[in-house]
Amino acid sequence: MIKDNPVVKLKGVGDSLWITLDPAQPVDVIQKEMDRLFNRMKHLAVNARIIIDTGGKDSKEKSKLVQELGFYLKEKFCVGYVSMPPRQRVVDEERARKKDVSRSWEHHKNNVLMLAGRVRSGQKVVAKKHLLIMGDVNPGAEVQAAGDIIVMGTLKGLAAAGQPENEEAIVAALVFCPSLLKIGGYVAGAPSLQSMGIAEFAHVEHGEIIVEDYLKAGFFGKLPWLEVR
Amino acid sequence: MDGKVIVVTSGKGGVGKTTATASVGAALAQTGKRVVVVDMDIGLRNLDVVMGLENRIVFNIVDAVNGKCKSRQAAIKDRKIDNLFLIPASQNDNKNAITPEKMVEFVKELKKEFDFVFMDCPAGIEQGFENAVAAADEALVICTPEVSAVRDADRVIGLLYSKSITPKLIVNRIVPEMVERGDMLSHTDVLDVLSIDLLGLIPMDENVVVATNTGTPIIFNNQSKAGNAFKRIGLRLDGHPDLPIEVPSTKSSLWKKIVQKFAVKK
Ligand SMILES: Nc1ncnc2c1ncn2[C@@H]1O[C@H](COP(=O)(O)OP(=O)(O)O)[C@@H](O)[C@H]1O
Ligand SMILES: [Mg+2]
Repeated sequence: MIKDNPVVKLKGVGDSLWITLDPAQPVDVIQKEMDRLFNRMKHLAVNARIIIDTGGKDSKEKSKLVQELGFYLKEKFCVGYVSMPPRQRVVDEERARKKDVSRSWEHHKNNVLMLAGRVRSGQKVVAKKHLLIMGDVNPGAEVQAAGDIIVMGTLKGLAAAGQPENEEAIVAALVFCPSLLKIGGYVAGAPSLQSMGIAEFAHVEHGEIIVEDYLKAGFFGKLPWLEVR
Repeated sequence: MDGKVIVVTSGKGGVGKTTATASVGAALAQTGKRVVVVDMDIGLRNLDVVMGLENRIVFNIVDAVNGKCKSRQAAIKDRKIDNLFLIPASQNDNKNAITPEKMVEFVKELKKEFDFVFMDCPAGIEQGFENAVAAADEALVICTPEVSAVRDADRVIGLLYSKSITPKLIVNRIVPEMVERGDMLSHTDVLDVLSIDLLGLIPMDENVVVATNTGTPIIFNNQSKAGNAFKRIGLRLDGHPDLPIEVPSTKSSLWKKIVQKFAVKK
């Protein structure tokens, strides 16, 4: 039997287009195949959200390839946002379960910037990964992180998590009333951000920033096993 | 022993820095302390007008700092209070006419002669602010119960901490009726954000405008709630730090007391 695996496959998943491709193929072959598929879609590709799935484990080479192809698609077909699949479930699952048993996180070096005090107006704190503030973020202050932002106190300033483009990031605060909120490329303004006087958190869902009661949503409590964030 | 150097600042303009400088200075001088108030708002002087001393100006702060006159010559004696002196700002120079380094030197001299040196800071956080803050040991941050004033005060507090100066807060122009209706921030709303030691709460008081226009200290008016509040701030700065802080209220005879003291521990 002849194994007929196309170089590039395209299907619609939710509100995005999911491209599966073989990263072992030369770039120009992949691009040619993409041209064929995208030409057929015409204007449907414009501003579409694209997920490029290279299969298997993530690697540096693959992210570079995805980035390159992303540029190509944006340039040629005016697509919107291009990213890799949110999580490589199958492979990671095995690894994660093992981690739980072997407590591998004991060796994990994470970049959490944990600060105690008050971020005042005019100050800006930037964290390379996650940011944890034990204290308040005042109006006019700015907190930014590549990962999550957690404020054990009142958040009134501007919070930008997942910068520049990690949409998995969250922003949580005991008193949640940021003047402006960014997660990855998404932005939410003040009017929808009235504090309910309970611990709340914001995350991106279906292309939108959603703010929820942190305890009720049980977002992380529902995870089946411990994961390093 | 050297005197204390206190800068009066706010970030925002028109919140009552000049009024507070003149009033607290007068209150302390009246209790017998030797006090000099320095107008650091170069180019926009008005502390002299508030104190009714504008027609006695010969030398000013720029002259004194640059050695064109002795500090004693620049210090004008108040007409009504014996131990109170004013060093006026200059009206024609710009803010670069003095530098933070020269201010430090100059204030060293003043400290030897006075128990309290108050510096009335200009609005903003530029050169004029730097000059006024350079030589200060302590700071009084004036804020009104308005979102924009709080924002600016917060910025200034951050800058003061970065200069190792611990600020204390005065909330001015409180209108109790509006606070009670929920139309104005309360002092606790302000403290929630600024989170520094509170030194006093001053109500909105028409008498302040009258006193300012006639060049008489508001503390001379015993009927003035603002005047009395300023007097009590003077006491808190000098030997009575725990004097309870009164919350301006619509019930004229009943003063609520603040139970909670906001202390920032180091
Ligand atoms: N507690 C008060 N009640 C009423 N008017 C006040 C009060 N404090 C200040 N003012 C008025 O507000 C105006 C601005 O005050 P000023 O002390 O000159 O502010 P700044 O020096 O911060 O610019 C002045 O006209 C002053 O009379
Ligand atoms: Mg002034």
